[in-house]
Amino acid sequence: MSTAEEINTLLVANFGTDPLAIRPEVSLRHLRLDSLALEELRLLIEDRMGVDLDDVQLTSRDTVGQLVDAVHRKAAA
Amino acid sequence: MTGRPYRPEPFAAAVTGIGLVTAAGTGAEATWRAVCEASAAPSVPHRPELHDLPCDFMYTITGLDPRALLGVAAARLMDRFSQLAVIAAREAVADAGLDPSVWDAGRVAVVIGSAHGGLPFYDEQHTTLIERGARRVSPKLAPLTVVNGAASSVATDLGALGPSQAVSTACSSGTVAIGTAHQMLRTGACDIVVAGGAESVCSRLLIASACQLKAVSTRRDDPEAACRPFDVHRDGFVVGEGAGLLVLERPEHARARGAAVRALVAGYGAASDAYSAVAPDPEGLGIERALRFALADAGVDARDIGHVNAHGTSTVSNDLIEATVLRRVLGEHPLVTSTKAMTGHTLGAAGGIETALTVLALQHRLVPPTVNLDAPDPEIPIDVVSKEARPGTFDAAVKTSLGFGGHNAALVLTRA
Repeated sequence: MSTAEEINTLLVANFGTDPLAIRPEVSLRHLRLDSLALEELRLLIEDRMGVDLDDVQLTSRDTVGQLVDAVHRKAAA
Repeated sequence: MTGRPYRPEPFAAAVTGIGLVTAAGTGAEATWRAVCEASAAPSVPHRPELHDLPCDFMYTITGLDPRALLGVAAARLMDRFSQLAVIAAREAVADAGLDPSVWDAGRVAVVIGSAHGGLPFYDEQHTTLIERGARRVSPKLAPLTVVNGAASSVATDLGALGPSQAVSTACSSGTVAIGTAHQMLRTGACDIVVAGGAESVCSRLLIASACQLKAVSTRRDDPEAACRPFDVHRDGFVVGEGAGLLVLERPEHARARGAAVRALVAGYGAASDAYSAVAPDPEGLGIERALRFALADAGVDARDIGHVNAHGTSTVSNDLIEATVLRRVLGEHPLVTSTKAMTGHTLGAAGGIETALTVLALQHRLVPPTVNLDAPDPEIPIDVVSKEARPGTFDAAVKTSLGFGGHNAALVLTRA
């Protein structure tokens, strides 16, 4: 499963996000992910993908694509 | 008796809606039918996480999927006690015939009692902290486990913009919440209050403590018979989860919109034992004061109380002390029941659930039986209904609650 697919799966299962709304250019705020949800998502991604995102800055203004890229870079490091 | 109740003008709040989620049933009607018709307690399952404790069983709500009912996005922001509260609140508001999309939201308040809030999640996350470190602890712990979580979740779900708050007085929380709502309506602070209690405490940590305290039943070989209020063989309470919420309104507000009024909350009284962290006052002086205050507040004579839904926890001391006080204040005529053998002791939710059942008892003029009362304790000097529901001709009823820390509360309810 690709990084994007992993994140999509987490968003749908844990946050009830509409899978059709998850597109690279869409902001996390648009998906109704507030600061609490972002920190929860950070933990879920870390647990699922075995990466450390502690130094990754996440804000609701970031897009899905930016999140995927950040996680992908960490996973590849 | 010490203390005089504050005596403003008499005020009776209209109960226009009720919502219940209990181990006996999901929905007010299902729970009422179960408590009236049952000859035995519902299944009280052994819980794997409690396997090595003297009490490893608990009344549990089955067949309920909060994620499906509330939606994944909303449910994830609520601990289970808050989820149960929202499910019960939706039922109560629908039962009242209220439409949150058109009501005057600023005049709608929420008051919900809970003793322990999100303790199970706290317990789980503490284990995470110890075993996996601070970086694995959920950010949701702080906002979701607070005792006011149920009140804020219900206010958010309903779009209620009036005051919302939690009440936490241990096992009397639900009753105190309804009493608080009665007072808020009386002052005119709001027109509608969604009030009651919610609790879900399947926590290894909490049950371990309750076992150490010798407060819970250890009848592991027969959990369905473990909760037996007023029975000579009772040996402690059995924890349950649930929520019971009422819609209370200023009577003129209910009248103006033509609402069907199920019953009236006519009086409320509360008093402290100032005695012990766990034991009730040996003479029951605190619950006696609360009960007398509630009667005075309602302007109802003790002789007119025909039914009591008692706290009746199935502990040796509570049942004896409470029954003695009921006899002393009300006499021997009221038909008394404890419905806890059907719901478990839902702690902070108990007052909400049992007040809703008292409303239904007044409406139907029918008192549910105290299940498992096979051998009445000869020391108990009151008429406890057992075996099957008993009809009566009463127009007024009482709900009593006692909480750890000496928090006593009583409500007087009357037929509409």
